[in-house]
Amino acid sequence: MYKLFKDNFTKHECVIRLSDNAHIPFDPANTDYQKYLEWVAEGNTPQPADE
Amino acid sequence: MPLQQVTYNDISQPLAIAPGAVENYMSAQGSSFGFRNRIINGAMVFDQRNAGGSVSNPNSYIIDRWLVETSNSSTTAQQVTDAPPGFTKSLKFVTTTGTSIVSGSYCDVTQKIEGYNVADFGFGTSSASTFTVSFWVKSSITGVFGITLRMENGPPYAGYFTTYTINNSNTWQYVTITVPGNSATAFGSTTNGIALSLNFMLGAGSTYTASTANTWGAYGVTGYGQLSSATGSNAVFTTTGATWQVTGVQLERGSTASAFEYRDIGRELQMCQRYFEMSFSQGTAPANAIGNPWYSGATPNIVYSQNILFTAVKRAGPTITFYRGTGHTTNGQWAYYNGSAWVTASTSTGAITTQSFSVGISSNIGTQYGYVVEGNWTASAEL
Repeated sequence: MYKLFKDNFTKHECVIRLSDNAHIPFDPANTDYQKYLEWVAEGNTPQPADE
Repeated sequence: MPLQQVTYNDISQPLAIAPGAVENYMSAQGSSFGFRNRIINGAMVFDQRNAGGSVSNPNSYIIDRWLVETSNSSTTAQQVTDAPPGFTKSLKFVTTTGTSIVSGSYCDVTQKIEGYNVADFGFGTSSASTFTVSFWVKSSITGVFGITLRMENGPPYAGYFTTYTINNSNTWQYVTITVPGNSATAFGSTTNGIALSLNFMLGAGSTYTASTANTWGAYGVTGYGQLSSATGSNAVFTTTGATWQVTGVQLERGSTASAFEYRDIGRELQMCQRYFEMSFSQGTAPANAIGNPWYSGATPNIVYSQNILFTAVKRAGPTITFYRGTGHTTNGQWAYYNGSAWVTASTSTGAITTQSFSVGISSNIGTQYGYVVEGNWTASAEL
């Protein structure tokens, strides 16, 4: 399970892997991000970022 | 002819090596004086994630840069001090309880090599380099074992499947395997992606077993780990109590295995840190509630933020994981000290690049000077 994250001050956005609270950048070369994209491609949806 | 085997027969004459002879030899091998070995941490010296601890049901990176994958959950892997002469550490895989091979079974010890580090092999061209893999291996099981060179260019994926033989049980044995360059297929990446993986196969079901050995072929297997293997022994996978160890792994251009390239310890660690770095001391496995965490003074009356530079530039923007210190009890979060107690704070990143990341805590830490923030982190940019 994943949750989107947005830092309202720096505007930095990433994905949080909820199992270990890891912050995954939107970097196509990051293999954790690649796994996230595969998870989304399987029809899953991440939790939205907090406002 | 390996360099260390240069002989001189006429002892009555001063030893003379023609100028350029060594350089010509290295050039003929397609090798270089630096970075001959394209394997990182081939001597199994660094184990940042586990500090020599045993990992049960390993399906993750164990020793730095070494990935262990297996469908047999009753197994362990770890760094151990048993090693052949000239080495101090090895990677040991143990099958606690053996299980039967089914079509989807797999078990391998793998290093994935970044494109930048083998781009000079020239795969996909008529001058594709032959290369040689050498290593020390020891197992409780004798027989023929599979080894796979796999290109991450697919699907389909180019693979070269071959074998080596362990002749005596529980005895360190040196193995060399020479592999022809692949003129037909280019690497999937010659930059910061995966180009080539070296896979020591300890078990493979029919889904992951190639029928043709000792030639480059194209395979469409897309299963877990995307493995393939020449027909090799599955006995480590199926035998209760079986062990398999490896160290001194080298992959170099040319058709001859040269002596293992020892790199200085600082350089080797930095090469590992391109893929995984941590705030914990070397020898301390990342975990929550480790004493003496990373501290930082906090500017009062603001939302805390700190930029942390990596020791080594990362292969890609890394995944950042946070760990708590000892002052509070919420795992995965940092805390600040308010003058009388540690206070848990929601911890997040403010930016992540290959050079650095910024960490922030959401709480306003108050107005008192001298407040500090504690916590630890890891950064992973593994392939």
